[in-house]
Amino acid sequence: MSALPNKAEPTPAPPAVMRSAVTLPAFPDMTPARWTVTSALVALAAGIPLVMTNQYALSVMVTTLILLVLNISWNFVLGVAGVWNFGQLAIYALGGYGAGIIMLHTTVSPWLAVLAGGVVGTLAAVLLAFPTLRLYGIYTSLLTFAFAVVIQYVIVNDGSGLTGGTFGLPIVKGLYSSLSLAASARAYYWTALAVVVASTIVLAAVGHSRLGIALRGVRDAPAYAAARGVSPMRYRVIAFAVSGFLAGIAGGLYVSYNQSISPSAMGLTPMSIDVTMLVIGGLGTATGPIIGTILLAIVQTSLVSHPGAELTILGIFLLVVVVFVPDGLAGLAARYWRRISAWAAEDDQSGEAAGPGEAAEIPEGSPDPNVA
Amino acid sequence: MSEPMLQVAGLRAGYAEATVIRGLDLAVGAGEVVVLIGPNGHGKTTLLRAISGIIRPAAGQVLLGGKDVTGWPAERIATGGLVHVPQGDGLFAEMTVEENLLMGAFPRSSWRSRRKELAGVYERFPVVAARAAQRGRTLSGGERRLVALGRALMRPSRIMLIDEPSLGLAPVAIDTVYEAIAELKASGATIVLVEENFTHIGGIADAVHVLETGTIVASGPYAELASDPAIVQTYLGSL
Amino acid sequence: MAATDLVGIAVTTIILGSIYGLVAIGMTLIYGTLRILDMSQGSMVMVGSFVGWGILVVAGLNPVIAIAAAFAATFVLGVLTQLVSVQPLMKRRNAIDFEMVTFITTFAVAMILTNVALELLGPQQRNVTPVISGGVNIYHGVNLPYQSMAMAIVSIALMAGLGIFLARTRWGMAIRAVAQDLDAARLMGVPVGKLYPLTMGLASALAGIAGVFLGGLYFAYPQAGDLPLLEALIVVIFGGLGSLPGTVYAAYAIGLIQATAEVLVGTTWSLPILYGVILLVLIIRPYGLLGKPSEARL
Ligand SMILES: Nc1ncnc2c1ncn2[C@@H]1O[C@H](COP(=O)(O)OP(=O)(O)OP(=O)(O)O)[C@@H](O)[C@H]1O
Ligand SMILES: [Mg+2]
Repeated sequence: MSALPNKAEPTPAPPAVMRSAVTLPAFPDMTPARWTVTSALVALAAGIPLVMTNQYALSVMVTTLILLVLNISWNFVLGVAGVWNFGQLAIYALGGYGAGIIMLHTTVSPWLAVLAGGVVGTLAAVLLAFPTLRLYGIYTSLLTFAFAVVIQYVIVNDGSGLTGGTFGLPIVKGLYSSLSLAASARAYYWTALAVVVASTIVLAAVGHSRLGIALRGVRDAPAYAAARGVSPMRYRVIAFAVSGFLAGIAGGLYVSYNQSISPSAMGLTPMSIDVTMLVIGGLGTATGPIIGTILLAIVQTSLVSHPGAELTILGIFLLVVVVFVPDGLAGLAARYWRRISAWAAEDDQSGEAAGPGEAAEIPEGSPDPNVA
Repeated sequence: MSEPMLQVAGLRAGYAEATVIRGLDLAVGAGEVVVLIGPNGHGKTTLLRAISGIIRPAAGQVLLGGKDVTGWPAERIATGGLVHVPQGDGLFAEMTVEENLLMGAFPRSSWRSRRKELAGVYERFPVVAARAAQRGRTLSGGERRLVALGRALMRPSRIMLIDEPSLGLAPVAIDTVYEAIAELKASGATIVLVEENFTHIGGIADAVHVLETGTIVASGPYAELASDPAIVQTYLGSL
Repeated sequence: MAATDLVGIAVTTIILGSIYGLVAIGMTLIYGTLRILDMSQGSMVMVGSFVGWGILVVAGLNPVIAIAAAFAATFVLGVLTQLVSVQPLMKRRNAIDFEMVTFITTFAVAMILTNVALELLGPQQRNVTPVISGGVNIYHGVNLPYQSMAMAIVSIALMAGLGIFLARTRWGMAIRAVAQDLDAARLMGVPVGKLYPLTMGLASALAGIAGVFLGGLYFAYPQAGDLPLLEALIVVIFGGLGSLPGTVYAAYAIGLIQATAEVLVGTTWSLPILYGVILLVLIIRPYGLLGKPSEARL
């Protein structure tokens, strides 16, 4: 796997000279053809609830999409920014609790409550970011990992009634409490899908912006980036904030859809599953979380009656992928895609030469001298 | 000369970034002292590392006492009788001098024989004995070099590779180090020595090879090469 | 604070510190030698608890056999863990993300072990017979169970034993040599291909023994390793990764903080308070108490 994806990868390098007047292309990898395919896929995904009559399957899909929002947020801080943050599930859960408590005790619109979840997530993430600022890689993961466990522990042992302890919040009214069960499931599906699409697009654009280039610069060559005037600390806080906001929104959606949240949403088990999804998909790529989350959700659903076997198999998957496919399935797919397009280009000289590959992969950037 | 102690044929080796040694041949007979000289960065250290197995040769052969050891891991080659004193000494910084020396005898499984060798080294280098309890990282450069040489004597060797024993030392300290090497030669040791120039090797070199960009470009007895102005000018800049 | 509280705190500190030390020192040994943070150490505690349960309760044999069996089982598991989750990655050991990668692979092993236990043995908590039952009243109302005393004594003995092993023996010195300069150690003839699995086996075996005792104090169940793992992580962060003395000091310091917090504010809040202390330590010393930013360790 690579928290820091292959640096040797030939990349659509940013132009050598970049004055501040020059605008960066937001999606350098996306050819019109790719936009078409992507739009078609999104439209297809959006059509599923119209034909899907199996309520159980639909609920699994909604849950998966909400999880995907969380995983996209985590991928940003872990893969793109390269900060070894293992506290993301706690941030997500805090966002969920924040939104849930507002839904429970106030009469404001549940949409505002979900947004408030995002704000809580941002605050929690920024607060977590500060003590990690001076820490070096593995210490960051230890501290944030411990943070997640401690937050869960505190909530489990909370006797004040605010969080409901082990049992979680009492039933809250979600976004679509006025709709019928089937209609609300569809509505949640489209809502979560919209958030997934929006966050993928926004984060991919951010990845190609000065901010994204600076983040990867800090990740791959901290000393060089610092010498270029990119403040690693400032960018780390920004990365935490961005990903914390999205994680908080995911938490808000979760509490709204499940009408409750309990500490089991953030334990070691869900964390193991999410890490596995990210790593198998390919950390630091835009498509990785999508591939990994959907694939493992399918595996998980088919093994749902054997809780022990399920995680054992995921563990074996994780080991095998890390050892044999260091850049995850997205990386593997990109490599094969490149090989095929190179072969096609060779075969068919008149055909447009293959692009730089990496379907929607956020490209590696060398630290840009002008970012600061 | 019978079977050479060390024979290198067509060796290619380097790092992920670049091949450094490009097709090198070398033979060292038993009891011989062979010196490799060459300018900075031309692959002397890389050659020794490839011979001792720290890096894996990309092509070619390394024979030790007639046995093909190409591609063996360093620890196996070391146990087979090759001793390599690396550039910069390779002392264990947080270990005491005594522990460093004992590590030199790691392949000897008997405690008694390790102690015996230790006493022998202390006798040979009283300076080292005086520092027995001091940690590696606190030694002076000259002391470090002697400890590294002492450590090389802690187990029986068929051949010794010594990388730039004069590196970073004051002239007096260099003299001490070379006296020790001369003693080794006198006791019949087979040695491959690396240096940057001819300055210190006059008394001990049986044969000298000049290494440039990963191959041997000139060979001969010390007297012949060191007095050849063409060699000195072209490869080593100056005397 | 009453005198009984102080005696209670002192006793708890020694007991907690010893057991934390035993679990954490293995992690330190592994980090110092292989530069990896072994997340499977918690599951070794769990396996040790189950072995203890199997030998003491199911088979009805004596505690010495239980400890020996736990040692053997977790030693083998540790060796296997290294071969499966670390050895294939050793060629990438200089990559910038090596620590992260192995963090994840050993985490995967932990996931596998926990869930195999869940599948084979079920989620229920099993009572493990204490290695020694009974206790002694050492001060007005401060009761010291023999089990805890034995646990502290065995832990201290094992830590001291490990110290002597590393300081004096040929293989112990080889482990330190590898930790300090891998290439130089190989030039001395140290077979790293064997040494790495042995180191991880040894560390895991210490955690396994801790598991037999912890199983007697709490229970044997598939997640029995989660809390010890967290505590060991806190100890190694606090002490500085890779520093053996740092780990031992940190284990007792953490034991003291926790024992004090339990008396002052109750068990529930001792973990969060501990976390707060760790935060402070890391803000002041980013590499823990005795950790060093760079190389030389063990
Ligand atoms: N670990 C390494 N990774 C990549 N390249 C290396 C490595 N070590 C050495 N090199 C490169 O290999 C080449 C040869 O280096 P080497 O150390 O063998 O030279 P040398 O002849 O011993 O020089 P010196 O006299 O300075 O010791 C140099 O260009 C160096 O930069
Ligand atoms: Mg050199």
